[in-house]
Amino acid sequence: MKCRECVEHLYEYLDRELTPELEQEIRAHLVKCPPCGEQHDFEELFLKFLHARCSTAGAPLALRRRILMELFDE
Amino acid sequence: MTSHSPPPTPPTPPTPPVPDADQKRASFEREALVHLDTMYRVALRLIGNAADAEDLVQEAVLRAYRSWEQYTPGTNARGWLLTILRNLFINEYRRRTRHPETVDVDTIEPYAVFPEIQDEDPQATFFDRIVDDEVLRAMDELPQVFREVVMLSDVEGLSYEEIAKVLDVPVGTVKSRLFRGRRLLQTRLYEYAVSMGYIKARTP
Repeated sequence: MKCRECVEHLYEYLDRELTPELEQEIRAHLVKCPPCGEQHDFEELFLKFLHARCSTAGAPLALRRRILMELFDE
Repeated sequence: MTSHSPPPTPPTPPTPPVPDADQKRASFEREALVHLDTMYRVALRLIGNAADAEDLVQEAVLRAYRSWEQYTPGTNARGWLLTILRNLFINEYRRRTRHPETVDVDTIEPYAVFPEIQDEDPQATFFDRIVDDEVLRAMDELPQVFREVVMLSDVEGLSYEEIAKVLDVPVGTVKSRLFRGRRLLQTRLYEYAVSMGYIKARTP
């Protein structure tokens, strides 16, 4: 596997969306190629960062109450 | 004296069946209302302000409840609800959104940020200095096609297949939009961090 191909599939690899064969090839490449390994770590960090920063707010309590009232009249 | 025949023993009443309405309510609460947070977060990013997002979610939930019979229990309620939410947004809310201007995608060439930072800050600690509001602002400035895939994937954790269903596009489209959307967002956040002095721009 070439670095270019590895980087192209990095997101699908992190998203666990590859075929087992390709996933295995990428994993093997990451182990023996430090630059690709570092890029992998960075992209993984970035995705975790996005998740953590954007999933803090949930539905406001008032909205929840209003919906329950509308649905079940309570 | 008139003889009274003993009153007939009333038959044991059968256990009353749970009324349909209660059953519908219970299954809706269990399978649909647990996704209220997800619906709200997605609505907020689609529409850009809390008041409209609340209205959109409320209307989507009411619609979902009215057509709850069309949902097959135990299948993907989250995807089903998000599809209703997004269609409602596109058909009735989009034209009156007060969403911030999105960047023109064609003028921005997203690049991989990692090569820019690998010498200066390989652990990407500059991310820690960016406040949540700034991350959300960067997200809001993405064009909708990219913003929604990034939201559904990276914030709500849907699979490519699930996203493809919600957006009614092929999985390949999800994949390419996700790639470009993430890179765009990464580029924006990096350039913001440079402008704030959180990280030094790489010397060419």
